[in-house]
Amino acid sequence: MQNASQRAAARTHSKGLADNFRKYWPYYVMAMPGVIYLIIFRFIPMLGSVIAFEDYQVYTGIFSSQWVGMKNFVNMFTYSDFSRILTNTLILGALRILFCFPVPVIMALMMNEIGAPRLKKTIQTAVYIPYFLSWIIVSELIFDLLGVSGLFNRARALFGLRPLLVMQQSKYFRTVYVFSTIWKEAGWGTVVYMAAIAGIDQSLYEAASIDGATRFQKMRFITFPMLLPTVITMLLLQIGSFMELGFEHVFSLLTPMTYSTGDIFDTYVYRVGILQAQYSITTAVGLFQSVIGLVMVVFFNQLSKKISDDGGLW
Amino acid sequence: MRKRSWNDQMFSGVMTIILILCAVIAVIPLLSVLALSFSSKIAVNTNAVTLFPVGFTLDSWKAIVTRPDMWRATAVTIGTTLVGTFLALIITSLLAYPLSKKEFGLQKGIMIMVVITMIFKAPTVPYFLTLRSIGLYNSVWAMILPHILTAYNMIVMRTFFLGFPREVEESATIDGCGPFRTLAQIVLPSSKAVIAVIGLFYAVTIWNQYQHPLYFISDMNMFPLQMKVRQFVTESSELQTIAAKRAVNYTERSLKAVVVVFAIVPIMLVYPKLQKYFEKGAMLGSVKG
Repeated sequence: MQNASQRAAARTHSKGLADNFRKYWPYYVMAMPGVIYLIIFRFIPMLGSVIAFEDYQVYTGIFSSQWVGMKNFVNMFTYSDFSRILTNTLILGALRILFCFPVPVIMALMMNEIGAPRLKKTIQTAVYIPYFLSWIIVSELIFDLLGVSGLFNRARALFGLRPLLVMQQSKYFRTVYVFSTIWKEAGWGTVVYMAAIAGIDQSLYEAASIDGATRFQKMRFITFPMLLPTVITMLLLQIGSFMELGFEHVFSLLTPMTYSTGDIFDTYVYRVGILQAQYSITTAVGLFQSVIGLVMVVFFNQLSKKISDDGGLW
Repeated sequence: MRKRSWNDQMFSGVMTIILILCAVIAVIPLLSVLALSFSSKIAVNTNAVTLFPVGFTLDSWKAIVTRPDMWRATAVTIGTTLVGTFLALIITSLLAYPLSKKEFGLQKGIMIMVVITMIFKAPTVPYFLTLRSIGLYNSVWAMILPHILTAYNMIVMRTFFLGFPREVEESATIDGCGPFRTLAQIVLPSSKAVIAVIGLFYAVTIWNQYQHPLYFISDMNMFPLQMKVRQFVTESSELQTIAAKRAVNYTERSLKAVVVVFAIVPIMLVYPKLQKYFEKGAMLGSVKG
């Protein structure tokens, strides 16, 4: 069909999409299913957000429901529910960055200090496992572990302490969220950092050894600084996706007793929007969340690009 | 000199001990639930079970594996995972390949579309309404179609295709291969590693998914395993009724443990063999397009 010289010629001569299509139509055919998919599953739902500005009724549909402008947003900001879910989302997001983010970095630095390769491999295998379990499974493990007869309360009993019902009290929800995130994701999170550590120039360590550096000094003054660009990139990406706390994660840990501290945008929208069919107001809530998310992601992505050459998602 | 190397050993030793502790913490909940699933009613009720089965019995397991609904849920999960992963690999590679070609006139435009889907998430409610309006409510496709093309996986694959030696493709073109044949017979067969990695990521997503079945599947005959676990665990009345019978040698708690282990076993069986692919995938992800 086309050989190399024709292709080169095409590059210089083709003007306009029609020409390009005539020469490279197979590429268009290949991309078509994906593009149609993106339109149906990603873009039409985005456009569907217009119901946030309507008094949407299922029977009248998107196009003939009454247009109400910003009314849903005005109502939203006056809801007491709204300030609660906003606060919860922000607090959980902040705790996640403060407490969950550093753990895999520290673990990767420690992992690098293990001499025996077999032992290292075994430890890695073990700490990766939780990442591949679903949140439903993890939450059930947690509910059992923290139940009246779970290992946690039996350990308390050994110290003569009374059983503590952690999952049923709103004051512990955030702690449970943080610990469950660490348990499930920290081990797997080390992979990226381990790859970065593996890429560090070995001659740096050799030079340090000649200068008489201890292992701790090598970690502190070589490994850590060399790892820092990766850490910063990951941190900025994490801050950018601040609002994505994981519906499945929070929902599977949440009980009506812990709504006051654990109810977030995603769980609220599911309950009120999907289950109670209050479509317009929850679309307004969702749109608010998506727009904040968009601004955060774009801002921190640009920042990360500024800081390092290969930072950023795109 | 001697003192320093002793210091180093101490340091390494402490790090190793902390990490072994981490590894133990990672697996303890799993051991505990495994032990519960094989323990007798008395042992479970008297809190005698910690990490090893006490009063070993298969009764809890028998009570669960004889339920046809568990196997139906398993079939749903396996079926959706296989079909979904297969479709995902086809649609993802078909999009990633032309997007790796600068001759393709729509390359820039489609890449912008893809990035938009990464940074702007449609709100849940219009997403739900759209999918329901195309007939996904109470359809197994609701557990397949939403997962078959993610921007991140597509970009990883495209990055891989970008690095494919151009000369190889060009010689195929000279031999008379069109882009379809070049992709199917030259590029894909030499991309097995990236296909394995991306296929695994899709498979894990579909296997572990809970949100989509929760939103779209109300027919209990179509529940996947994760929904079954949730059904037994949160609306535990069903298990309570089974466990309330006097003569049985299991409790609600040991039955729940079985359900959990039942849903974990398939992943635990494949995980050790595939671990290196997962690691490779996570590292591929750090190379962006």
